[in-house]
Amino acid sequence: MDHTFDMHVSTNELKTKIIESLRLQEVTPEQIEDDAPLFGTGLGLDSIDALELVVMLEKHYGIVIKDIEEGRPALRSVRTLAEFIEAKQTAK
Amino acid sequence: MAVEGARFPVVTGIGIVAAPGFGMEEIWGTIQKGESGLRPLSLFESPRYGQVLAGEVRRDLTDLGAPLRGSRSDRLAWLAARQAINSSKIDLRDYAERAGVLLGTSVGGSFDSERFLTALIKQGKLRVRPTRFHECASAIEIIADDFGLYGPSMAVATACSSGALAIATAADLIMAGEADVMLAGGADSLSRMTWGGFHSLLLVDSAGCRPFDANRAGMSLGEGAAMVVIEAEEIALRRGATILARLSGWGASCDAYHATAPHPQGAGAAAAMQSALRRANLEPGAIDYVNAHGTGTRDNDVAEANALKTVFGERVPPVSSTKRFFGHSLAASGAIEAAVCIEALRRSQMPPNIGFATVDPAIGIEPVKEITQASLTHVMSNSFGFGGNNAVLIFSRPESPVRARSIRPKAAAVAGIGVIGPGAVVHRQIDPPLPEGIVLSHHCGTLAGAESLSPNQRRRLNRMVQMALIAARGSHSTTATERVAIAMGTGMGCLEDGAVFIENLISKDEREPMPARFPGSVHNAPAAQIAIDQQARGLNSAPTMGEISFECAVWQAMSQLWSGEVDCAIAGAVDELNKYVLSIGKRWGLWTEQTRPGEGAVAANLVLPENTTEPLAKITAVHVGRYRRPFDAKREADWIASRIDLGDIDVVLSGAGGSPALDPMYQAVITNLSERVGKTLEHQTYKQLCGEFHAASGFGFSRAIGLVQQGKRGVLLYTLALRRGKGMILVRR
Repeated sequence: MDHTFDMHVSTNELKTKIIESLRLQEVTPEQIEDDAPLFGTGLGLDSIDALELVVMLEKHYGIVIKDIEEGRPALRSVRTLAEFIEAKQTAK
Repeated sequence: MAVEGARFPVVTGIGIVAAPGFGMEEIWGTIQKGESGLRPLSLFESPRYGQVLAGEVRRDLTDLGAPLRGSRSDRLAWLAARQAINSSKIDLRDYAERAGVLLGTSVGGSFDSERFLTALIKQGKLRVRPTRFHECASAIEIIADDFGLYGPSMAVATACSSGALAIATAADLIMAGEADVMLAGGADSLSRMTWGGFHSLLLVDSAGCRPFDANRAGMSLGEGAAMVVIEAEEIALRRGATILARLSGWGASCDAYHATAPHPQGAGAAAAMQSALRRANLEPGAIDYVNAHGTGTRDNDVAEANALKTVFGERVPPVSSTKRFFGHSLAASGAIEAAVCIEALRRSQMPPNIGFATVDPAIGIEPVKEITQASLTHVMSNSFGFGGNNAVLIFSRPESPVRARSIRPKAAAVAGIGVIGPGAVVHRQIDPPLPEGIVLSHHCGTLAGAESLSPNQRRRLNRMVQMALIAARGSHSTTATERVAIAMGTGMGCLEDGAVFIENLISKDEREPMPARFPGSVHNAPAAQIAIDQQARGLNSAPTMGEISFECAVWQAMSQLWSGEVDCAIAGAVDELNKYVLSIGKRWGLWTEQTRPGEGAVAANLVLPENTTEPLAKITAVHVGRYRRPFDAKREADWIASRIDLGDIDVVLSGAGGSPALDPMYQAVITNLSERVGKTLEHQTYKQLCGEFHAASGFGFSRAIGLVQQGKRGVLLYTLALRRGKGMILVRR
């Protein structure tokens, strides 16, 4: 049985959730590139935004991150985050 | 008159209550045995983190002799205060007007106020009683009343450096001649707020903290209090007191880097250590032991190690963190660790860094692992907090010849002032579920100037912090220097972020927390954000003392100018309206047709007069203290007349118009002052313009500047607080 198609995480949907959870009122999903770094440059997000994204992952995808070191590679870009969510959901 | 050179602060008593025990004897016993005080949390239900270890005071506070009134933090502070007074064998009645209390606290009455919110959210019941002791300054009132202290008193709420900063500020008050004896320290109880908050930041190691260890995974929360009796050396010698230690240096700084993360190189931490060494006239090599902040988080311990290497080079003295004994008791920790350092000096023993096993290559420091006998002359205690707030204390053996550099009070020039005041009186319906009707309030509305803030500042910073930022920018304080101190007083702190965070925590049983709200809820968030905005790296403080919070901020800011550690100091105050202020105040009958709640922010840019060409005005005197009940107008007029020349006053600008309790007191003092000068002093008020809120005297200060600009020679800003604080600032042309 192959669930991967059902589990596919839309990067557009993910961008909308990022914008909502971080209250990025002046940003549209189109302005966020799939591979652009989320932190440091670009959107100017910081470590507290990363924690807000951790809460978002739990709320919308049921993924619990207890150690930010574990989440760090996943939070690099929208694409790495989508892949991380898919991997976690497949593993369930 | 004080004998020249005899104002050096010495410690003559210590009191401590924390997870490992009650009193230093018992606590040092557990330190010698290497026993951690951490146990699973039992103080309150934690649906999600109930099994996590915490440094909780498990003994019943009433059994220990605590007063029945007060929040848990207040009662912990009181217990430590009583021990400290007993151990110093001082009769405080001999020093009443010359003795004060300075307490670092950050949690304040949150633990108790959470009962109000829990009843409201879970049962829909409005029980306002537990909020009576919400304010951080409530402990000051209880301790000062019970022990008879009427000298300068305030709380400082600078998160995890509060306890150390309180001791440093007490030392400055003694050196400046404002007090002979100070009861100083820190207290914080555990609370759902900080418990959920630090968990939301993923900073807690559920198995207990392991400071400086390669496998460390976070901090452990704790609670407790420690207080010390500090007095001027001449006072201690005159009364034949046993001197436990000398407070020979103290320093404060701000990273001006991030709301929660430390500067990776520990630049601010190093600056605070260097400032304390300068104050003590000591070379780094003289320090025999460092009690580290050492929380056990990955970032703190690396940053602190980097800072130690910056200050001490290749020769870092023996270091240990005692956090696994106590847990991180936030505002109390700086005071607890000061007490540990004093005891270490007394016993010539270095406490071990329990929880450590393996050196982290990123740290490269192996801390003291066993209790170690050592010859100690000078020891250093580090405390770092949210907002990059750093405070460092140096204690020396009593016989050590080291003497801290003196400070001498002098006038400051007001180079600029920024104000955010209410736009109009508006009707505000109090949000359900508090059906208390409508309250007329002075609300600032949409903040003028908010558009000048960056998108990230608008997105992430709460309204109160934004008010403070706009006021500070308006004070034209942006200078070429980073040697800027900031003291931003607040009576109630950032109520809105705190309330939203804790409401969410309670209603969702700790699921889906709001990590961005937590750092915004601390009292020093406005001061810390101003520092980041302006790259101000001097002392960074949030004094809180009800209606005289602004006056306390001015004193603290000016003391930094006197110390020579900064070129410029921003002194201000800020408070915000919130649905609970409206509804609880209404329930208590505070809000009437004449008395309307308000909000606002003010920030004044202060420099030494020789460093500015066109000042708006000068501050020639600033003093804070406490009045007695029954109120004695003659005694209060004496307090003013003995500090300034009454002939300099054209106008008295008072905080009257707010409270039916305080208004007659103001009038009686002004009448008495008028009799002394033989003419009726002009009396003006300002609360009819800005409303009633704790930071309102800052608004009054801006009026005083205006009156001086219009030609008045001298304006006395005179403020009384419901919790018995009093403040005076003389503003002159």
